[in-house]
Amino acid sequence: MSTNRLCAGALFLALAVAPQRLNAAQAVSDVEQGKKLFQGLCVTCHGFDGTGGEGPPLNRPKLTSAPDEESLRKVISQGIPNRGMPRVRLLTENELRQLVSYVRSLGQVSQPAPRGNAQKGSEVYGNAGCASCHIVNGQGGSLGPALTEIGRLRGPQYLHQAVVDPAAVLPRGTLAVPGRGFTEFLPVLVIMRGGREVRGVRINEDVFTIQLRDMTNTFHSFRKSEVETIRKEPDKSLMPSYAKRLNARELDDLVAFLSSLRGEL
Amino acid sequence: MIHRRFSAVSTTVVLLLAVTTSRAAGQVPYQRIVRAESEPQNWLTYGGTYKQQRFSQLDQINKQTVPRLKLAWAYQIRQPGIVETSPIVVDGIMYLTEPPSTVTALDVRSGRTLWTYSPTIPADVIVIGSPPVNRGVAILDDTVFVGTVHGHLIALDSRSGAVRWDIAVGDNKQGFYLTLAPLALDGKIVVGVSGAETGIRAYIDAYDAKTGRLVWRTHTVPAAGEPGADTWGPSSWKTGGGSTWLTGSYDPELNLLYWATGNPAPDWNADQRPGDNLYTDAVLAMDPADGKIKWHFQFTPHDVHDWDANQMLVLFDAPVGGRTRKLLAQANRNAFYYVLDRATGEFLAGVPYAKQTWAERLDAKGRPIKRKGIEPSLEGTLIFPNIQGAANWFSPSYSPRTGLFYQGAREMGTVYYKGEAEFQPGTAFLGGGGRAVNGDEAWGAIRALEGTTGKMKWEFRLLSPGFTSLLSTAGGLVFGGTEEGNFFALDADTGKPLWDIQLGAAVRGIPISYAVDGRQYVAIAAGFTMFVFGLN
Repeated sequence: MSTNRLCAGALFLALAVAPQRLNAAQAVSDVEQGKKLFQGLCVTCHGFDGTGGEGPPLNRPKLTSAPDEESLRKVISQGIPNRGMPRVRLLTENELRQLVSYVRSLGQVSQPAPRGNAQKGSEVYGNAGCASCHIVNGQGGSLGPALTEIGRLRGPQYLHQAVVDPAAVLPRGTLAVPGRGFTEFLPVLVIMRGGREVRGVRINEDVFTIQLRDMTNTFHSFRKSEVETIRKEPDKSLMPSYAKRLNARELDDLVAFLSSLRGEL
Repeated sequence: MIHRRFSAVSTTVVLLLAVTTSRAAGQVPYQRIVRAESEPQNWLTYGGTYKQQRFSQLDQINKQTVPRLKLAWAYQIRQPGIVETSPIVVDGIMYLTEPPSTVTALDVRSGRTLWTYSPTIPADVIVIGSPPVNRGVAILDDTVFVGTVHGHLIALDSRSGAVRWDIAVGDNKQGFYLTLAPLALDGKIVVGVSGAETGIRAYIDAYDAKTGRLVWRTHTVPAAGEPGADTWGPSSWKTGGGSTWLTGSYDPELNLLYWATGNPAPDWNADQRPGDNLYTDAVLAMDPADGKIKWHFQFTPHDVHDWDANQMLVLFDAPVGGRTRKLLAQANRNAFYYVLDRATGEFLAGVPYAKQTWAERLDAKGRPIKRKGIEPSLEGTLIFPNIQGAANWFSPSYSPRTGLFYQGAREMGTVYYKGEAEFQPGTAFLGGGGRAVNGDEAWGAIRALEGTTGKMKWEFRLLSPGFTSLLSTAGGLVFGGTEEGNFFALDADTGKPLWDIQLGAAVRGIPISYAVDGRQYVAIAAGFTMFVFGLN
């Protein structure tokens, strides 16, 4: 009887310990599997190891749109379509758990210190005249994209490239107008039948018409059949490159400043 | 000059027919549908006639007059949702559907509502695989038939909208639902089902039009021991999919019913379903008396990209090899255009009509010779056409006048992913998915293909890949729309744009044409609105 009771006790202990070991093993496995899923589904926008790119960096302890596990599950399984985050595909419960585990693990890795100084970067931003085309916290011009939340939306590598080679990373639209994923701030040259030229960025377009905004912030609307030429220039940007206007330290400082812009007034 | 004379003659014919049919106004016996081409003022089936050509013989709106096209009236859909309806028009009444499964009858002279019927849809309705849309109704005698997203087929009195009968075609708890316009035959209503994305085993059903009693059911995936079961592995046929979610076609002379089938399940992970997976991604020719399959042709054996073959099966007769053949043509989601002999199922022609990177070519029997490395993967595999296909549910048009098959083509790739597939009834059973490569790299086109060969005659480029249904007319026009809200008329012979208007929302409706009081109209839904245009 006593032996039996001991046996029963040992079995109970074994059962009590085994799930914990299993859970720990599964947690490791989930992160590994989640990484594989991430590299297929998420890396295009969020970068390798979640360091950010066209999409926000995910290597943070707390994600703005997904501060807890439940909201992260929701973001992954439903997307945030009006902010450009698609639901890439429906996942099984198992796959969802793995992906959540991996994304959470990204925020637990200690982050390297930013290379630049945000405060100095703020001065670079002012001296370089960025505010003539960009709005930060309500101040500035509106020719280029607003930057108030840019540090939350884009990774540092993307921001660096946007400063040195703006045409390489023109933003992609998140709304259905003019079309989901269409290039925003796309330079367009319109040549009228009389030879007059209008250069601007595309605001909207359909099969028969196109709408531009020129460098003076004036809107133009054209019926395509009534102009001589419409030349889209996806390899250009109306923003000049700052690769030679700023030195390496200034660039790092500017990127640090932009990364610090998180929409927190 | 010749054109004008033809116009005058055909308008007279329309007016005479309007008088002669008024004695039986509102009554649509089977023989009237068989002869639908003789009353072009009406639009009696989903695609106009049993041939599903979506061609109007009306020519009052033509190349010369189309610049005078103006809005006649508009009808606002009451519930938000995607409107993909093709109305039918019978003797002055338009029957259209609204999302998810509402039927509304409108006075075509004024656009005013005559009646509306909305079935009670359970709050926990399961619709996995498409948005909760409805594409239209069928009419037979004095009854209108509609399929619903909770899997029912409902018969309504055409004068009042009162329910005559209401039956479950499939169990919605298992994932069955209906979005298609039913097809009315002689005393029977034929429907198919959606739901492959939940691992249903799909079928085509025929119901007694008077009572709703099931007359026959033909499964699109054979059970163990049946012909074709050896193309599935041991048990995957039980969850094999093969949905039948778009309206079929019918040839009264051959007495053959044609129905297209959808993808095998799970969509992107084929580990458990080795083989061709008959009869998915195929066309079935059936005896309408008992549903027996007379012949079949499979477009995409062992599909791993969700390339349903649920595109319209368009019937026409044309010379091939020196003699007139009875043909069936389809621009398939897999980017190939196919021409079959519809009496025998013989493959006659097949060519790509949009960019594709998955097949080297079709062999002499129309079977694709697949390239290596096209399967979805964990890291993603870029393949053309895209996950929603080079074509999809939207209707093409065939003009007997030009001999051209008009098709909206979607030029876009997708990165296809393979994932886990776990079958739980009534839940998603997908095994992966895809990320479409959209934006400025993707685009669309209206293409005019020679009906018998698929050779492209002209192309009208669209800004983005759309869901563009087309209508061709004896007036020498092709009507279509865009994702950006344009609705336009092209010259059917050259593709040159002749008229357009901005409707303010994506054009997902399916255009038709009809006439009343001697005036021709064109109807199209965009956004949440049905627009009707006539000459000023």
